[in-house]
Amino acid sequence: MDQLFAKIRNSKAARHVFLFLAVMGPGIITANVDNDAGGIATYSMAGAHFGYTLLWSLIPITIALIIVQEMCARMAVATGKGLADLIRENYGVKVTFYMMLTLFFVNLSNAMAEFAGIAVSLEIFHISKFISVPISAFFVWMLVVKGTYKSVEKIFLFACLFYVAYVISGFIAKPDWSDVLKQTVTPSFNWTLDYTVMLVGLVGTTIAPWMQFYLQSSIVEKGVTIEEYRHLRIDVVAGCIIAPIIAFFIVVACAATMFHAGITIESAQDAALALKPLAGNYASWLFAFGLFNASIFAASVLPLSTAYSICEGLGWDAGVDKRFEEAPQFFWLYAAMIIIGAGVVLLPNFPLFKVMYFSQVGNGVLLPFILIYMLRLINNKDIMGEFVNSKGLNIIAWVTVFIIITLTLIMVGFTVFLPGKAL
Amino acid sequence: MKLFTYLSELLGRKVYFENKQYAGKVCDISMRLNEAVFPMAEYFIIQKGVFKKQYAKIYLNVIKRVGYRIKLNIDRSKMEYSKDSIRPEFSLCFDILDQQVVDMNDQKVVRVNDVHLMMVDRQLYLAHVDVGLRGLIRRLEWTGFVDFIVKLFAPEAKYLKQEELISWKNTHVLTLGRTKNVIRSDIVRNRLAKIPAAELADIMEDLDVFDKLSLFKTFSVDLQRKVFADMAIQEKEELVDHLGDREAGDLLENIPADEATDLLHNLPKEKTKQLMRFMHSKTSKKLRMLLGYAQDTAGGLMTTEYLYLGADALVKDAIQKIKDNVDYPGNLFHIYIVDEKHALKGITSLRHFINKDPSRPLMEACYPSDVFVRLDDGMEEVALLLEKYKFSSIPVLDEDGILQGAITSDDVMEELITLTWKKYKDQI
Repeated sequence: MDQLFAKIRNSKAARHVFLFLAVMGPGIITANVDNDAGGIATYSMAGAHFGYTLLWSLIPITIALIIVQEMCARMAVATGKGLADLIRENYGVKVTFYMMLTLFFVNLSNAMAEFAGIAVSLEIFHISKFISVPISAFFVWMLVVKGTYKSVEKIFLFACLFYVAYVISGFIAKPDWSDVLKQTVTPSFNWTLDYTVMLVGLVGTTIAPWMQFYLQSSIVEKGVTIEEYRHLRIDVVAGCIIAPIIAFFIVVACAATMFHAGITIESAQDAALALKPLAGNYASWLFAFGLFNASIFAASVLPLSTAYSICEGLGWDAGVDKRFEEAPQFFWLYAAMIIIGAGVVLLPNFPLFKVMYFSQVGNGVLLPFILIYMLRLINNKDIMGEFVNSKGLNIIAWVTVFIIITLTLIMVGFTVFLPGKAL
Repeated sequence: MKLFTYLSELLGRKVYFENKQYAGKVCDISMRLNEAVFPMAEYFIIQKGVFKKQYAKIYLNVIKRVGYRIKLNIDRSKMEYSKDSIRPEFSLCFDILDQQVVDMNDQKVVRVNDVHLMMVDRQLYLAHVDVGLRGLIRRLEWTGFVDFIVKLFAPEAKYLKQEELISWKNTHVLTLGRTKNVIRSDIVRNRLAKIPAAELADIMEDLDVFDKLSLFKTFSVDLQRKVFADMAIQEKEELVDHLGDREAGDLLENIPADEATDLLHNLPKEKTKQLMRFMHSKTSKKLRMLLGYAQDTAGGLMTTEYLYLGADALVKDAIQKIKDNVDYPGNLFHIYIVDEKHALKGITSLRHFINKDPSRPLMEACYPSDVFVRLDDGMEEVALLLEKYKFSSIPVLDEDGILQGAITSDDVMEELITLTWKKYKDQI
């Protein structure tokens, strides 16, 4: 027996598995947080309104996500610095400051959406938002203030497991799998306005500005070395594949039920409620639970990531293990995100919809800058050394970024000119 | 020109030739790489054109006046423009502005918001780096607006007066990227040598692991050893984890055996074995033995580095022994007298024999009683004995009375402090 263990320990494959487990985290967490309250709403609507016809878009989205996130991870490992750090050091303080200002407001409105997601998902279980939201806010605060990077990462990884709820509800919805499969691999273009808006919305919700900052900072904080990069890349790619798979099941669940019944929905909780008569209580509960998990997960990550990025870029001390006097800006930013984010959800008649509208525009304006800076940084030999993009990858990366930027700008256009449709 | 000026105020300033022809605007300043405490500016870099950018160097001796506009005392014909941007070895915009520096006084890493320059004798010196909020707002060109608002609501605000400047001599520029893996070709590196090791260890604590590593690698072996000894245990682990096995092995060999043992105790078994491979067999044998004992027993606490002499040694031999081992990492003041089987025969200390006749046998200058502990004695017992006899170190014997090692009071102290801390933490 001991010999067997020794054999396993010494085998090359096992070594790789252990090395992978050691660096696992940042990629999977970032990609999963991406399926937040807003993401789930978008995927639900995509499924409910267009059936399986948008499923094919998840494949190119996955590829784009992998390309962008891998570059972030590579920058983190090669420079040991966060994205905000690098932008500040190479493009100066002005760009950084305005970028961070936009990021703050965009992320703040996202945080509001997450707390709203917590409120509505628990209302399905008959828990008042005046109980659920304050408790969640307190939980989020304690999680990060009392935790260390390692413990927080473990909790986050654990939260990733609950996304399985959507996979199960996808199966409970009893879709026609052969049709699902066919639609996934055959792109169907349907250039009606609604369809295009939804397609652009899917891309917009999947590739968000905060992810780049968060992924890079968390890899730096984890201290992944260049030798470990190969294994980190697996983590990043795995995350970028898992997240669209979850999205796939959300679309499938909604398509198999609501699309066939001809029900239109406006939000994620509509979807959860609509599932009750169509696929039974369990599917509805699972869907609501998934929404709660995703919302609280993202509500924990967003404020932290925002406070870190801003402090990084503007040169203020940051870190959950610091005392308040050592890093006042960090804690103020962090507290502001949670208190405002959770607070507005409790206000009666708060125009969350309008806030989301501005957040959408802010996201769209910010993303092109970030992606272009990223591409320029990653091709800078002074910074990246031998880790610059290879020629082939560079062409693919520029094309991807170009497409993402075009789609994002189209989305901004939709949001500004057709506010009723784009959300 | 004013005595002091900020880089942000110079950047973008328009430069004119003697005949009032436009020359370009300032975009960077190249500094001289020398050993001076405050580096001196070598030339300004100017840039003109929007689509077809051209760059030129202006040496300080061609500058006639620095005012709202910068006037030169030469004509266009004397100036050479180049199409490529100029990248000096050491420049304010590339190497200082917006970069991170270590503030040696407060021992933390800060980001440079602006650079404070000093004009003396028609020379421009780098005097301070600005790391404060005012500097940040000046860079954003919001000073007028923000000052107005703050004056309106809080005329006494600290913000209005407080400049957070750090003298250049108290800063240290960090490396640009991990790929270079060493601190940048540094005119300031020599300064490091003058900082006490304990303070360097404190500074290191604030760096992230890669900066830590690159800083650490610039130290001499001797300095590495000293700084390492002053680091907290988690810091040490982190560092050993990121150093290559060979480097880590070399390092562990150079530090006292008891500290190396503590460290190895906390590392995974595999890593320990790997590190041992890079040590001399004598050292690794010693460490392996120490690793066998529980950490809070005498065996785990002890070091195998101690001074000893044979039973026939004279007082002058002892004095010579101490002289020969001034750089010795272990306890220097106690000498143990052992027989040919290495069994303990007597203990003496510098205080005891320093005034004795050098030609007398050392045995005559021994302590009256033999105070020692056994390998498996607990830490409390060791502490009690040390306190009782006011010794700074105590020998450790095995069952046969063979001398195995020695424990110094600071080793016990360290363990006790850790324990006390744990208890204290549990209470709160």
